[in-house]
Amino acid sequence: MTGEPQRRTPGHGSIVLIESACTSCMICARECPSWCITIDSHTEPVADLPAGARARTENVLDRFAIDWSLCMYCGICVDECPFDALAWSPDLASPAETLAALTAEKADLAPDQ
Amino acid sequence: MALVEQQRISSEQWLGAVRRARDDGFGYFDWLGCVDEIGRSATFRIVLVLRDLDRPEAPPMVLTTEVARDDPRLDSVGSVFAGAGWHEREAAELFGVEFVGGNPRRLLLSPDFSGTPLRKDEVLAARAATGWPGAKEPGEGDAPVSRPGAPAPSRRRMVPPGVPDPAVWGERDPALPPADPAEVAESAVGGRIRRNRR
Repeated sequence: MTGEPQRRTPGHGSIVLIESACTSCMICARECPSWCITIDSHTEPVADLPAGARARTENVLDRFAIDWSLCMYCGICVDECPFDALAWSPDLASPAETLAALTAEKADLAPDQ
Repeated sequence: MALVEQQRISSEQWLGAVRRARDDGFGYFDWLGCVDEIGRSATFRIVLVLRDLDRPEAPPMVLTTEVARDDPRLDSVGSVFAGAGWHEREAAELFGVEFVGGNPRRLLLSPDFSGTPLRKDEVLAARAATGWPGAKEPGEGDAPVSRPGAPAPSRRRMVPPGVPDPAVWGERDPALPPADPAEVAESAVGGRIRRNRR
């Protein structure tokens, strides 16, 4: 088969993070067999509570990073995420000059559009 | 009709039983494998699957035997089925079972590797020594959990699969004898570590 050299993969090129859906629950980081997902989060009080309601806190995502040098593209994180915050993307992870630069942060992992 | 024809054989009669099965027509060696039975019994189960190519519809013959964990040795069936030699060498290096009369060379692992990677009580030491990203709780930042002055974590610690509870292996009380292999294997399945140990 002689395909065009820049052919895109059908769908499993890389993983994107839909940040609004992420609850920082840590399930993906714990299920990842190659330990490539790093999550930092903190808790904040929920602001817009009705009057008299008990104070509640919610998790706020500070950092979400996938180390593409460790990721083996198994997709377990995509399958395990209970909030569908991770999804496959046809775009490939960008190459880098150094090992450290292969770590993609939240902004790099946001889907297009 | 049974899906498989299974025979449990004592380890002393292993070689004779395999030879008899071959002479009964099961002359095609399919595969040989090893199962760590830790938690059920202190043994390794050796499984050998043979087929009769003259009767393709016949169920495969499955021969099993068990060898003690503390002295795992079994007669090699390489003299009956030469192809079993590779499978025995793989089981020998991954489980530490000695196949008497077989080829003692390594098959997959490097010669300087020590350990038996597929035994269930084998600790993944590199994982125990590396920081696990999943050890953090939701809402926890990049500061380590156990820094001095930090409030006590409200939930029990998590350990990754392959790393035992530190109270069993790693940070075990030096006054205690080394943990039983079954206890190490049981605590190395990952998840929250037990609060109260028996």
